[in-house]
Amino acid sequence: MSNFILTRELIKRIYSKHEAYINPILKFILALVLLSVINSRIGYMERLDSAVIVLVAALLCSFLPMQVMAIIAGLFMLLHMYALAPECAIVVGVLFFLMFILYVRLVPKETIVVLITPILFMLKIPYVMPIAMGLLGVPASVVTVSFGIVIAYFLTYIQNNASSLSSYEDAGMISRIRLVVDGLLGNKAMFATIVVFAIVLILVYVIRRRQIDYAWTIAVITGGVAELVLLFITELTVGLDFSIIGMMFGCILSVLIGLFLQLFAFHVDYKRTENVQFEDDEYYYYVKAVPKVTVAASEKKVKRVQPSQSKQAQHKSRPAGAGSASSKASSAERSVRTLHTANGTSRTLK
Amino acid sequence: MINEDKVILMTKLASYEQREGKRFNAVAGYFRTDYISSQLMRSFIAGTLAFLAIIGVFLFYNFEVIMEDIYNTDLLSFGKKVAYIYLICMGVYLLFSYILAIYRYNKARGSIRSYYANLKKLEKY
Repeated sequence: MSNFILTRELIKRIYSKHEAYINPILKFILALVLLSVINSRIGYMERLDSAVIVLVAALLCSFLPMQVMAIIAGLFMLLHMYALAPECAIVVGVLFFLMFILYVRLVPKETIVVLITPILFMLKIPYVMPIAMGLLGVPASVVTVSFGIVIAYFLTYIQNNASSLSSYEDAGMISRIRLVVDGLLGNKAMFATIVVFAIVLILVYVIRRRQIDYAWTIAVITGGVAELVLLFITELTVGLDFSIIGMMFGCILSVLIGLFLQLFAFHVDYKRTENVQFEDDEYYYYVKAVPKVTVAASEKKVKRVQPSQSKQAQHKSRPAGAGSASSKASSAERSVRTLHTANGTSRTLK
Repeated sequence: MINEDKVILMTKLASYEQREGKRFNAVAGYFRTDYISSQLMRSFIAGTLAFLAIIGVFLFYNFEVIMEDIYNTDLLSFGKKVAYIYLICMGVYLLFSYILAIYRYNKARGSIRSYYANLKKLEKY
């Protein structure tokens, strides 16, 4: 545990120092993964399905705000859909338009959730999303997670039905639109997943907000168990596409990721290095303010607990030198290390 | 001679101006009613456009059925039904936008108030 806290402090220190470089790199990686996932799953437009274009787009995303990444990912999807069937592009376009205009416009911060959810679906660990957002988000995050689920299921649907969509060429525009809309709205597994994830997210949020000891840990574990049970029930009633063993491993992994996330998010204020410029009547100031790190390895305190007074008296009554070696050994055994952590708790290590 | 306390305060203020200050200043620059009504107006336009998009997809989806039954359909009652659905959806959406606007405005005002308090402190140096 103490090692985790020290690692966290180390990461915090590195992040706050090099935030200017780390953020674009992380954004670049996210964009690269996202666009590669889109290309690998629905890469119907050959021109877009090239490493150079993905790299250039990811590079662009690394400097621009997160919303731009969402727009670029959306454009990629729309263009691929257009190459497959223009009607698909119309339906996806309307879907994106609704998502943007109704919600993402109001809460732009959570755009990243819409982007990450389909990636987690592809990695077969979507179960982590409700637990993570229950810990880090608000109940309204249900909406963004749901948008992500819709996109993930839609990608799968298009991937599975690409041949039938292209063979519908003679059937006319309306029939193809019906096929796509049916695939989207008639997907019971998608709606069941949305409901399960929403329940788990709100459950985790409610428990972690309770003023009880270990609220975050209890929230993560309860969320994991509830998710497993709900998914299992849904699998039996509706029939999800998840395998039961995968579901179990996924939920266990989600709990572990949740607990790991707790270490990095609980009571931690990630301050950044500030580079500011200002002036007064006498000077121009170019200030670089680096945040202080609250707990460092050097602040570990070693506290030695002395033997009780009666034993000290016994010790005094013995002849000098007799049994000194054994008393030293026993006091060494009783010595206790107390580690003060960043959360204000102290941990005793025997 | 550089006054260290003054530099620390100025750094904090400059950092605030660079980050949250920009966003909060844009909100707190309005009167409360002006801000809320402008947000509601935007939400109204967005909600109406979204509703029109949904209706468009619905019409496309049911195009053949509608064209077959167009002479047997009571267009007035259909229109009323659509209008009711529109009003209910817009009511819910506008309520959500209203609550969000009030929350954001109060947050911005509080934040800007403490910024001004720090500015006053700076004047004493």
